[in-house]
Amino acid sequence: MTVGGGPVVEEEKTEGFSFPPDVTQLGIISAIIAIVIVIIPGLPAVVKAVGVIFALLWGMDSVRKTSKYGLGTGVPSIGVLATGYGVLGALVGIAFAGILNVSIVQPGVLIGVIAMAIVGLISGVLSNNEKIIGMKIPGLERGMMELGIAGTLAMLLQFSIVAGSLDFNLVVERAISNGVIAVMFVLSMMAMFHPYNACLGPDERRPRTLMVSIEISGLLFIILGIFVAATAVSTWGVAGVVDGISLIVFGLIVWIVFFVKFIKTAMREAHSTVGTGLIKTIE
Amino acid sequence: MLFAWMLLIVFLALIACMFEDLESDIGSQSNPNSQVQLAAQIGQVNRFFNKAISGEAPSYALYCTIAGVVAYVLLLKDVNPLLAIPIGALAGEAIHVIFSVTAHVGRTAAQKRFEQPIYLDVLYGHLLPIATHGFMATLCITAIAYIQCNLGTLSGMPALDHPFALPLLGFIWGITVGAIGSSTGDIHYGAEREFQDRPFGEGKRVVYHGKITRYADCGVRTQKDIAYFCAKYGGPITGFTFGLIILFESWRSLIGMMLGGYLPLQEAMASDTLLGTVARVATELIPAIPAAIGDLTAIIGIVVGLAIGIVLIVGNVVIVKWARKRYGPFVGE
Repeated sequence: MTVGGGPVVEEEKTEGFSFPPDVTQLGIISAIIAIVIVIIPGLPAVVKAVGVIFALLWGMDSVRKTSKYGLGTGVPSIGVLATGYGVLGALVGIAFAGILNVSIVQPGVLIGVIAMAIVGLISGVLSNNEKIIGMKIPGLERGMMELGIAGTLAMLLQFSIVAGSLDFNLVVERAISNGVIAVMFVLSMMAMFHPYNACLGPDERRPRTLMVSIEISGLLFIILGIFVAATAVSTWGVAGVVDGISLIVFGLIVWIVFFVKFIKTAMREAHSTVGTGLIKTIE
Repeated sequence: MLFAWMLLIVFLALIACMFEDLESDIGSQSNPNSQVQLAAQIGQVNRFFNKAISGEAPSYALYCTIAGVVAYVLLLKDVNPLLAIPIGALAGEAIHVIFSVTAHVGRTAAQKRFEQPIYLDVLYGHLLPIATHGFMATLCITAIAYIQCNLGTLSGMPALDHPFALPLLGFIWGITVGAIGSSTGDIHYGAEREFQDRPFGEGKRVVYHGKITRYADCGVRTQKDIAYFCAKYGGPITGFTFGLIILFESWRSLIGMMLGGYLPLQEAMASDTLLGTVARVATELIPAIPAAIGDLTAIIGIVVGLAIGIVLIVGNVVIVKWARKRYGPFVGE
């Protein structure tokens, strides 16, 4: 188990690589992009992948915001919780996928998103309420709500990548009963909590942490791409062979770019990067 | 045949959990971790590999699920399992190494103000032991998941095939192996090393926690020393624990199936003799027969399980009492 610690300081925005939008802006941008992509299940997998990146990035930012107040071992737990919300919300969403259809747009799935937003808000209120659990974490209500929404959007998008549609039976057949849901679950939760868990410390910096999330999304797309390409029933259609291969290539590019960028940034921003050396002697 | 496959699963579980525990020692996910992982924050600059990939349970779920998915895809394409499972494990370990690098570099960079440098030789030098130990663990877990998935087909009774798909079983087994490796065999952080001067090896002030990361018996300590130390006792005992759990669990289910009449029924139904025909016709005509046999099987299995649990609890209490009486508190050199 890992334990967080150390005083939390306001981040210095002046040095190094920076990420322009702040927490609220990033949330709004990600939510809009992900929602627009999720209600059109006919889009190619790469476009949906962009939606997944934004949804997971938002979720990761919420984990970071919520965990910053010394959650410590709770960092992984809250990421798993978010993905758990996501699976539930996505199942609710695809159950309503059939209604409210307007040609290729399926806004019915957003019922799942709204449901999870409400559940997240309620659990946030319950945990923070003095009389019930009394965790007293600032912004927990908003954080939990955002985690519910982001998790649901990410899972819905991944279902739609693998199954090629949001039809309940198709999703159950092609994404749930064959076990690929396990890899979606585990990599989504990693993309949400691993960045902050891995960069935890007093000198953690938001742009650096965000890069890890995108890098893990890249890995997710490589695995999903392999799966889609191997199990595809058509060549050119949605969730076909071409979709799978393009997803692998996209994932590979995303992963390489952000992995190299993260390692370079971290090595530059560490106290020093040395080939080898003895440890500093303490009196 | 069924019993032979079950024993093979037990043996694989033993190896998997042993390597899992040693791997988590090399990455300081298990021994010594917590405060020690953040030793630099209390001034104890160290040469440890800081592999903070959540707890062991979710991280092993990650590698085993990826191994399971890759193996599943290869098996769908009719690749031989002897090739598909190692390739899956290799993919899982590739992910493991990537996550290790980001965790170590990220955590070390976040400890800038405590003057903790990134030692490149520590980074590169630990990746290979992590990958090799992790590979053994992931390989065994994926093999277990594969055997369970096809247990019925392999042992001639198709009804015994596991209803879950390979990746899901990998996920469940990954969580299990990680949880057991994380809770058992952590001797380096316990009485043997850090808390040697306390009665029964209990607590010490936080200020001293980081010291365990600095010097070994000879020179500066790294996790390779810890893996060497734990490989003698902590790793094997963890493997033994997991192996025993699987052994008791499968043993009680099989005893239930034997005594409850489920296995004889399946065997009879699978055969081509007159008895087989009678069994098939009878189960089809009177659905109450298989239902009653199923109930009996479950009840016997649960009773045997409860008995094993009680024996283990009593045995533990006796052993702890005996050890405390026999050896007493630690009295120093």
